[in-house]
Amino acid sequence: MSLYLDRIGVAYGRRPVLTGLTAAALHPGMLVGLLGANGAGKSTLLRALAGLLPAHGRAILDGTDLFTASGAHRLRQVGYLPQTLPQASPLLAYESVLAALRATRPDLRDATAQAAIQGIFDRLGIAELALRRMGQLSGGQRQMVGLAQVLVRQPRLLLLDEPTSALDLRWQLAVLENVAGQVHRDGAIALIAIHDINLAARFCHRLLVLGQGAVLAQGPPAQALTPDLLNHAYGIDGRVEACSQGFPLVLADRAATISADRRL
Amino acid sequence: MTAQTLAAGYRRFILGRMVILGGLGLAVVLAFALDVATGPSGIRLAELLKSADDPALAVILWDIRLPQATMAVLVGAALALAGAEMQTTLNNSLASPFTLGLTNAATLGAACAIVFDLALPGLPVLWSVPALAFCFALGATLLVNVLARSQGAGADTVVLFGIAMVFVMNALLWLVQYVASADAVQQIVFWTMGSLTRSSWEKVALVGLVLALSLPLSLRQVWAMTTLRGGEDHARSFGIGVERLRLVVLVRVSLLAAAAVSFVGTIGFIGLVGPHLARLVVGEDHRFYLPGAALAGALVMSLASTASKSLVPGLVLPVGIVTALVGIPLFMALLLGQRRRS
Repeated sequence: MSLYLDRIGVAYGRRPVLTGLTAAALHPGMLVGLLGANGAGKSTLLRALAGLLPAHGRAILDGTDLFTASGAHRLRQVGYLPQTLPQASPLLAYESVLAALRATRPDLRDATAQAAIQGIFDRLGIAELALRRMGQLSGGQRQMVGLAQVLVRQPRLLLLDEPTSALDLRWQLAVLENVAGQVHRDGAIALIAIHDINLAARFCHRLLVLGQGAVLAQGPPAQALTPDLLNHAYGIDGRVEACSQGFPLVLADRAATISADRRL
Repeated sequence: MTAQTLAAGYRRFILGRMVILGGLGLAVVLAFALDVATGPSGIRLAELLKSADDPALAVILWDIRLPQATMAVLVGAALALAGAEMQTTLNNSLASPFTLGLTNAATLGAACAIVFDLALPGLPVLWSVPALAFCFALGATLLVNVLARSQGAGADTVVLFGIAMVFVMNALLWLVQYVASADAVQQIVFWTMGSLTRSSWEKVALVGLVLALSLPLSLRQVWAMTTLRGGEDHARSFGIGVERLRLVVLVRVSLLAAAAVSFVGTIGFIGLVGPHLARLVVGEDHRFYLPGAALAGALVMSLASTASKSLVPGLVLPVGIVTALVGIPLFMALLLGQRRRS
């Protein structure tokens, strides 16, 4: 069950964001980091794959094109975590996850649903939050509940839009370890839009660096990350060094002069 | 917390909520009984029940008190259920059936019937006021829905069109009142105060039918609506067609609220307070929240009906006045109490 992204184009009205994005095949068990500057199209790609934006091109998962598949099929296969945090509401965290599971899997038996929910709260280490109202949780805690809503469904393709943006260091690591564990166990694929390059380099098997509507670089972190790429994709002067554990480590030295086409 | 204690904890929550719903149901039954036992004539329920042979007492029981008390329960439940669904789909805790200008349209319809002697063909004259109120309310909300759909049916768009509708309907109402006779204006004013004294078994049956048809449809969408409380983005990511859900709910809510206000007039507070009370006691899991809101609305309305007959001996005050005067301080106390506790 591999994922093929072939000449994907997405536009907001007349403004194209992705123009012919193509990537090498992504295989089961892979964590794929989506990198790129603000506005490079990371979230747009994830939303298009989740069926929330019209797109052309092909996104083939397990022989089916996600862009033409039925909503029900896509829902079974794909789990999408939006960039926004789940709203602070009087719902219990447990109920938020239960509702997400029930909305997508109405056929599930009660006992199975309960076991799945308990399992995900346990695995993510947030069982203490389960019976608290969402309105009483911090932003980071709500982000963890949002992640639980996606992981509990055990989708084959995980689309996570900045899943660690509201988390402290410990929880950032916990999240990525959990996602890596689930992807490995289920033979799934995770596409993770993320701003922390070093975190991506530490956990992801493959990086897709987006810019100018397409893939600027792709491959294992050690190959994809180069000073030239940093300059090209982010407009910074930086270095890529190897840390003591062998992972590439990006050190940003200074912002390069921003060209007109890269301004926010 | 282990998986076992989590499961047990959640089961306790569920049990607690079911007990609360049961308690609310019991409170509605008691409030209904109290409402039937109360009347401006001062005749107690025991006397009414013992004097089945007396036609005058039978009329008081069967034609006045029971239909009014039943109507109070049904209207309260309908308005509160409508309010709860609107607050969820518009993601706005201030939303109520009034938000879309529905009540204002109903008032305009009633005013047209009163001032211009309009009637719908085939309907008895007595029904012309509620019938036109219903038609206007339904027409206004359908118009809001159509306009909102043309603009993408976002929550803010629906609310904006609703507010516009409120102003348009008010302006038209003032125009009708401007050309109306003094008697007609007085009738319109009385209608807008909301009163249960216009109740009859036929009207009760109609409101009951609309409620009975709506509630199961609402309960079929509890998961989708619960998911929506996490935010539109998240609901969409779970395959919920948010715009479609919103329009379906708004049409259903419009029917519910239009049926209620067309028979009893403007009763504004229940659609707001019912959902809030339910949220306080059973949270926002819509499996409990929607029935809880309906029961809370029925309870408040039933108590208000009793109060409207008891506050001034021998006189029945318009129930719309009572819901506001008695209910709002109680509601504020509950909300402030909850804020202090949290």
